[in-house]
Amino acid sequence: MMIDEEKLPLTMNQIEKLFQKVLGEAVVEFKKEKFKKGLKGREMKVIWMRVERENFLDAIRAIAYVQIPHLSVTSGSDMGDFVELIYHFHVNYGYPGEETSINLKVHLPKNDLTIPTITEIVPGAITTEREKQEFLGITVKNIPDSRRLWLDENYPKNRYPWRWDEKGMEGMSRYIHDPKESTQKPTSDNPRGGDEDEK
Amino acid sequence: MRNEGKDETTYEVPIGPIHPALKEPFLIKFKIDGERIVGAEAHPGMNHRGIEFMGMHRNPYKVIPLSERICGICSIVHQHMFVTAVEHAASIEPTNRARYIRVIMSELERIHSHVLWAGVAAHEIGFDTHLHFTWMIREKVMDLLEYITGNRVNYAMWTFGGVNRDIPKKMYPKIEATLKYYEELYGKLEEIFLGDPSIRLRTIGVGVLTKEEALNLCGVGPTVRASGVRKDVRIDQPYAAYGDLDIEYQLPSLYGYKDTGDVFSKTLVRLKELVQSIDIIRQCLDQIPNEDINSEPKMAATLNKLKKADGEGIGRIEAPRGEAFHYVRLKEGKEELDCWKVRASTYNNLATYAPMFMGEQIADIPIIAACIDPCIGCMDRAEIVDVNTGKRWEYEHEELQRLSVKKTEKLLGGLKR
Repeated sequence: MMIDEEKLPLTMNQIEKLFQKVLGEAVVEFKKEKFKKGLKGREMKVIWMRVERENFLDAIRAIAYVQIPHLSVTSGSDMGDFVELIYHFHVNYGYPGEETSINLKVHLPKNDLTIPTITEIVPGAITTEREKQEFLGITVKNIPDSRRLWLDENYPKNRYPWRWDEKGMEGMSRYIHDPKESTQKPTSDNPRGGDEDEK
Repeated sequence: MRNEGKDETTYEVPIGPIHPALKEPFLIKFKIDGERIVGAEAHPGMNHRGIEFMGMHRNPYKVIPLSERICGICSIVHQHMFVTAVEHAASIEPTNRARYIRVIMSELERIHSHVLWAGVAAHEIGFDTHLHFTWMIREKVMDLLEYITGNRVNYAMWTFGGVNRDIPKKMYPKIEATLKYYEELYGKLEEIFLGDPSIRLRTIGVGVLTKEEALNLCGVGPTVRASGVRKDVRIDQPYAAYGDLDIEYQLPSLYGYKDTGDVFSKTLVRLKELVQSIDIIRQCLDQIPNEDINSEPKMAATLNKLKKADGEGIGRIEAPRGEAFHYVRLKEGKEELDCWKVRASTYNNLATYAPMFMGEQIADIPIIAACIDPCIGCMDRAEIVDVNTGKRWEYEHEELQRLSVKKTEKLLGGLKR
């Protein structure tokens, strides 16, 4: 199922209806935003929404009904009890001033950090899925290529740079810009200054 | 690597990751069958500096100069996106004059980036005269950027709610003179890059990216517009003052060419965008309103507002290389950014390498690698390993480039005959 090109571009209300039809009650949050920009007040349209992980692939398919989805990137962060992933999609491209951002959020609990791959629907997502695996320690199920992309092979296997818990970067980095943690003054034993372990 | 079960042997040719002439290290591994490329795989990450992690330990004002230093060529792109994303998250409105100044600066940068790219492309296929010519004319826009901001790179123009420096009326004549300079030279550029028979031989039908591949792989910028994809953030989702301006998607079909997606189309799109940028700057200078350049001149007041802000925002712009994206989340009572995600244009175009290299020759590697205008493009050395004997040869970058030049000469010889 793909929407006729004649019916494009879809308005934000039509996109909302589409999600209601495909997902029903599964949409946990839905927020529409409009901003006026410039002298003529052309609007920028942004949608923020969240779905449960069980309905995640259905939501991606719903976006793919509109157009071949343009995935800008996936951002993710450690929120304490869970990891939040946001898939930044864009639809209605090719129609001046009509493009709408759909920021699709999904929460993964810390005890089960898995999410299905979307590369079957959006082949271009492979780069960002590999990045999320190595930076957040999540597992993307059925990912075609699960090797590391950005981090070196020597980087510890169970530490992830964007996590704030015990699996994060704690103890691996020094905040040299922070005056409280700034280095010691140079002494005869330590002519370069800096922490002991740095010598 | 030997292709098991088949008679023919394929070899793996890694190119990268270190080369002193280019700004960032990068590695592409090629599978070669004779002269033909049968597989290509990009391996980035040689220069991952953890900028997002650093940003998550600083307050937003300190991140502006940090974001500016993500890229050495597009100094404007990342600070523009970061500032827009924070403004979105904290509901700060920039003034309209600031929006216009942002557009003027972005388009000046597009001019210098596209002229620079044209020089690199000419160099890769052995036309060093063109390299020196294009880099010479690029100086003019660099001088103008220095005249406006005081710096040749890292302009420090953006701030929350506006810009740091105004473009007063007395600067207009010099801007207009520079635009005129490029307008007069454009004919010559077109003659060189679109008319020269030897350049046409090296670019037409090489490194083809079809429309389907471009759409499925989420490619961005001139790389996909050359394939006929109508994607341009300036038109699709206007930011800054682009909504007020008259802009058109620059596709090859607009100028009577086919949207083939080869290197020639990509060159054409970039050259036409040069003319478009000149037009956009003129429109801006005509329409720019007389207002303050910042909606909140006191930095402390804005910082206070940012500390209290609780929300998330996106910044999305059309960089010279294509769409780029930032995501920012601010938390109430927290001075540092709660989350920051940076995505540059080359990140999405990385996936388009595989179909473009497929079936091409080793001598075409430099020009195809350059045709997406990679921000992490690096040609270091190609190492050819013969798996049967274990013997290794190394191709230095110079050697690869020499091969590419030799191909042009061979084609030229054919022309003369």
